[in-house]
Amino acid sequence: MANTKIHADQKYIEALLRNDPLVLTEMYKKFAPKVIGYIKKNSGDESVAQDIIQEVLITIYKQAKEKGLQLTCPFDAYFFLLCKRRWLNELKKNTDTLVTINEEIVSISDESIHFVEETEIFNAKHKLYSEMFDELGKACKELLKASFTIKSMEEVASKLGQSYGYVRKKKSLCIGKLTQLIQSSPKFNQIKKLL
Amino acid sequence: MTQEEKYELFDRYCSKELSSAQEEILIKMVKEDDALAKEFALYQELNSHLEARFVSEQEKETLENNLKEIGNSYFTKKRISKETKVIKIPVWAYGAVASIVLIFGVYFFNQSDPVYSDYANVPELSISERGSTEEDGKKAEHAFNSEDYVKAEEYLLVLLSKDKENTAYQFYYGISLLEQGKYSRATQAFEGIYKNNSSYKYKALWFEALNQLKQKKYDQCVVLLKGIPKDAEDYNQAQKLIHKLK
Repeated sequence: MANTKIHADQKYIEALLRNDPLVLTEMYKKFAPKVIGYIKKNSGDESVAQDIIQEVLITIYKQAKEKGLQLTCPFDAYFFLLCKRRWLNELKKNTDTLVTINEEIVSISDESIHFVEETEIFNAKHKLYSEMFDELGKACKELLKASFTIKSMEEVASKLGQSYGYVRKKKSLCIGKLTQLIQSSPKFNQIKKLL
Repeated sequence: MTQEEKYELFDRYCSKELSSAQEEILIKMVKEDDALAKEFALYQELNSHLEARFVSEQEKETLENNLKEIGNSYFTKKRISKETKVIKIPVWAYGAVASIVLIFGVYFFNQSDPVYSDYANVPELSISERGSTEEDGKKAEHAFNSEDYVKAEEYLLVLLSKDKENTAYQFYYGISLLEQGKYSRATQAFEGIYKNNSSYKYKALWFEALNQLKQKKYDQCVVLLKGIPKDAEDYNQAQKLIHKLK
């Protein structure tokens, strides 16, 4: 991308990472009204808007935490578009609902769209990874959770009452199994097409 | 290479345990085999995904709860202000309404909103350090403890210019600003403390909540108060204030 300068609105991403109550409150005041207005015009209500806003903020947080998201565009359009698309996806599940698409609410730059798409791909992958993780056997789930929470594999081994060699091997096999489950999922191929 | 060997190799790569020779062999294998390359890339991504997921799970939950509260308070407030706007009283009812307001006003006179002075228990400043800061320290101490916050601000600023990382100076500087009604600068001072770890962390959070209370920003006050943990000195006071503000 041409523009690599971090936008001043990166402060909102930082606020999510820091869980800063004052800035988060400011974010609701500043960015929620537009989202609420759009959702209400399109068959939704305020409680739906509240859920959508919360979900999108959590997705942004996860992307920032895992991938070090750095905004080079304003937060406003990026956030609005993410909320809007998420609501349209919800509506699509119920095809009888009439959808009014109003693109004029904010001016959206290519750069904002690029960020929105990256976040959406991140979110789709994240959902798939979680779904497939749930498909793993109980032993794998427990071992992976312990391995990434406890860090020291010696401690993991003693906690699970196994040998160090066994837990190391099992950990790699469990991630391997997860890799295979994801690769063979049709959803994974759909996400890959978006990349 | 068996499946087991392959995943063990991937795992040792992710844990940075391969020798440079072993790493070179793996990179060469990956370059020559497209399917292996894809699997290797996904394995690495899953490794970092799982790490982020489990390490920050609790942090994510705290954020979720906080957003839920902020969202609830934002949406409730919005609804209340909207409902207030649509209430229209016919002219003939003004007299009746005025009487009711008067009665309620008298009845609830003692149940008014909590105020800053009810809760602010300003601690004494005691600077016992020796050295070049001794003179300024004494002046700051004297001004602060005799409630001359204009002078206290001045002297504490001098102390901070020599030792800007000193959280005690920052804390008392924040109180001096707050007592003078310099709210946003007080916020800056307290924020600088409670966002980091020090013995003043929750004292600063408590006073920042009182700063919001003084400005009648009750929602923000409550959000901050909820961040004060059970083992903090001001926890009980914070809970009382939350209860009053509900």
